Amino acid sequence: MQGTLALLVLKSLAGGPMHGYGITLHIQCVSKDVLRVEEGSLYPALHRMEQEGWIRAEWGTSENNRRARYYRLSEAGRKQLAAEEKNWARLTEAVAAVLEFAQ
Amino acid sequence: MSLLSRLKGLLQIHRLERDVDEELRSHIEMRAADNMASGMSPQEARYDAQRRFGNATLLKEDTRAVDIVGWIETAGQNLRYAGRMLRRNPGFTLVSILTLALGIGANVAIFTVVHAVLLRPLPYPHPEQLVRVYDDIRSSQTHGVGMSVPELWDLRDRSGVFQDISVIFPADANITGAEHPERVEFLGTNANYFTMLGAHAELGRTYTPADALPGFSEPVVISDAYWHRGFGADPKVIGQKIRIDGDLYMIAGVLPPEFRHPGRTLAADVDLWATTGFAAPPFPAPPARAVRLLPGVMARLKPGLTVAQAQAQLDNFVAQLTRQFPDEYPPASGWSIRLVPVQQDLVGNVRTELFVLFGAVGFVLLIACVNLANLLLARSASRQREIAIRLAIGAGRSRLITQLLTESILLATISGAAALITVVWLKNSLLRLAPANLPRLSEVSFSPSVLLFAFVISILTGVIFGLAPALQAARTSQISALREGTRGAGSSKRQLKFSRFLVASEIALSLVLLIGAGLLVRSFRHVLDVQPGFEPHHLVTAKIWLAVPNNPKDDPYFTPEKRATFHQEILQRISALPGVEQAALGNGTSLPMDFNRFQTTFLIENHPLDIERTPVAEIANVSPSYFSALKTPLLSGRFFSDSDNTKGQQVVLIDETLAHRYWPNSDADAIGQRVQLGVVRRGQTSAAQNPWLTIVGVVGNIKSDGFDAASAPHLYRPLYQAPTYDGVVYLRTSMDPGTLGDSVRAEVRHADPTIPVFNVRTMDIIVSAFLAERRFALELLGIFAGVALLLASIGIYGVMAYTFSRRTNEIGIRMAMGAKRADILGMALKEGAVTIGFGVVAGLLGSLVLTHFLQTMLFSVKATDPITFVTIAALLAAVTLLACLVPAHRATRVDPLIALRHE
Repeated sequence: MQGTLALLVLKSLAGGPMHGYGITLHIQCVSKDVLRVEEGSLYPALHRMEQEGWIRAEWGTSENNRRARYYRLSEAGRKQLAAEEKNWARLTEAVAAVLEFAQ
Repeated sequence: MSLLSRLKGLLQIHRLERDVDEELRSHIEMRAADNMASGMSPQEARYDAQRRFGNATLLKEDTRAVDIVGWIETAGQNLRYAGRMLRRNPGFTLVSILTLALGIGANVAIFTVVHAVLLRPLPYPHPEQLVRVYDDIRSSQTHGVGMSVPELWDLRDRSGVFQDISVIFPADANITGAEHPERVEFLGTNANYFTMLGAHAELGRTYTPADALPGFSEPVVISDAYWHRGFGADPKVIGQKIRIDGDLYMIAGVLPPEFRHPGRTLAADVDLWATTGFAAPPFPAPPARAVRLLPGVMARLKPGLTVAQAQAQLDNFVAQLTRQFPDEYPPASGWSIRLVPVQQDLVGNVRTELFVLFGAVGFVLLIACVNLANLLLARSASRQREIAIRLAIGAGRSRLITQLLTESILLATISGAAALITVVWLKNSLLRLAPANLPRLSEVSFSPSVLLFAFVISILTGVIFGLAPALQAARTSQISALREGTRGAGSSKRQLKFSRFLVASEIALSLVLLIGAGLLVRSFRHVLDVQPGFEPHHLVTAKIWLAVPNNPKDDPYFTPEKRATFHQEILQRISALPGVEQAALGNGTSLPMDFNRFQTTFLIENHPLDIERTPVAEIANVSPSYFSALKTPLLSGRFFSDSDNTKGQQVVLIDETLAHRYWPNSDADAIGQRVQLGVVRRGQTSAAQNPWLTIVGVVGNIKSDGFDAASAPHLYRPLYQAPTYDGVVYLRTSMDPGTLGDSVRAEVRHADPTIPVFNVRTMDIIVSAFLAERRFALELLGIFAGVALLLASIGIYGVMAYTFSRRTNEIGIRMAMGAKRADILGMALKEGAVTIGFGVVAGLLGSLVLTHFLQTMLFSVKATDPITFVTIAALLAAVTLLACLVPAHRATRVDPLIALRHE
């Protein structure tokens, strides 16, 4: 769904800096394989979010000594996350309400 | 990502590509490693990892495109948004553009002139090597006394610092042979003049070394303008013979249109160049070391030599010559040679003036910026809600600042473009404001540097006035801003303080400009108060020039008697012209304020000769009616009479300054004393053969060097006794100079058809041309100061109006509680006074420092003149206080009930 990827990525990064591959693993793992992030859309999204100033990137070394680009949540990103979480909650509530009403 | 890193991103696309590459590769490798760990074969693991990416190249491009397109897109968005905001507030936009365009336009206009006059190198190869060479006599503090021919030869052959050195000898010349005699601007030079300047003829040739002959040589070179004016641009002009001052010359070449002689001329651009060797007639032969008849010298330094190095070498050389010729160069007279770069010589004191004006327009622009910053601050208060919302929905602060800056830069760029178009459009009318003697005026053009300047200054302006309000706006606390609605008082206190600081600095800046203008106004009034010593109204002047052929046998006016007869005939004829009350004649140096001066040393009989302070005077030859025609008073003795001619006793008149200097007790003491003109040497005088002249009268001072120059002592000789080749006609009349000029021309043609009449001008025009430079600086600085005052008043009015509109409520309560209108006004006054007080004090301190740059432009006013400082400060304080009372007064008129409800 439009915009959900950003929410997922931001939420993942709220726990600490991660590289792109880490983010795909994290989302797949936490959602118990329900959600899979496609690499094809992850990277453009990451770079777009970087431009918005929500996340910052820097080169670092991964657990098994590979150079990797690490993304970190910025102050603006934290706010963005809060806003999107709120939005999401409202959305799901709204959807739930509609579904219940349909009974 | 900040704007900076975005720019970096754009500029380093290459690096960016590598980054993306590496990031994706590391992803694939990690995935492959994990796949292998879960049991896939290495090949399979890698294939799977890559497959998940789909088209890796496409992805790479997508990802990278996001980075590059990102900031272009953002910039575009910012621009569109900024444009929308400007369109939405047309009033604000219009006022801002007008204010800014005024400031930027003034800067572009002045820069255009500064660039053409001061910054652009002269249009000759290696212009830094070109110098003027001056002889100075330190003991009598005379500069540029002229050079003698042997001195020139020494400098050329023995000094070792010059590649080329040439005489610069501006003169009048008569061209005869055509229907009417014509006067042209003539420049005598050495044969290497054009080599020195690196100039080539467009048609024909310039000089060759073979043209370097004693006396004048036959080939002459003409300017492109004269080629068009005098010869209808006929290409067959080369080889044509012309008569200059009666002598036959041959036109050898025509110069390209852009070539100009880099130096002062008599009246116009040089028409005609001739080359001379000076060691044969018409020049005294053999040349004497002590006769400094060459009025100017220009030279090109050897490559690699700086002016300072050359000057040091010349100082040694002068010391050597002084030892070699002790008679000609008595050590006490302090003869020295001074080098001045041609560019500096050409520009002279205009330099200070232009830099002062440049500084002034800089101030005006700063004030305009401050005003706009204040305006934006006030507006950002009403935009706080919009900004808070944008922050709340996730706009980064840096993005917001960029957005706001884009708005101000867009505003400034539009203003800059408007300013540039206006300046280009008005170029010619603006240039007409400039004094005609401003050097290199014809070179003023809109070069790429001017465009670059306009662009840079516009962007800079946008950043300067936009940055503070943008930072302030982005600091907005969203919570309070959202809560407070449009009134948004969240950061108002700090913002108000900042606004007041801005207004105070604006007041300080305008005070500096106003004081500068005030000092110039006072100087100008002092200058106008100076009595010139003659009555310039209803006085028409015209020049004539008797040709001097190189061979005395061809000269119809060779003897003084012939010249005197001619002068008398001319005077008789023009005196009889209808409408002429009185007429007089004088030589070229008798015309006041015309830059044509001749100084000479002299001896006073029975006065001890003080070699350190040789008497020096300006000398002019005049007809008997000269002083009565100019309305200059006789203080003692008598004027000249018709019998003061070549047969009569040798007589002279002196002016008050000279009389007071040497006969301090009484003017009458000077009468009957005798003086001898000439060059004074140690213990003797080269004037020994010159006649003794008896002083027959003392006349009032004539300010021949201008109102603001010290009165130089003058000696006057009777024109009929010492008749000259050049002449100035004076006519006391209220007739129109145009028709009168034709009558004078007709009369002179009757006397001798080969003699042209030129430069017909009223004395009023000569005087006002002399004041033009001063008036120009005064008018411009006055306008800029006026604009500054207006902007500062608007500024403080705006801030006070804003403050009071926000306090309507409070004022309502106060009024309801019984406060009188006067109390409210007093409160406003007190608040305004603090801001104004700070501004005025800062402005006074700034002026104390900055007015020193004006010193050379002032006349009998000190740069720290207390009267000007106090008056102007009081004026500014009064105007700005008034500006802050108006909104307070309006606030008190609101019905308290309405005010209380005002929320």
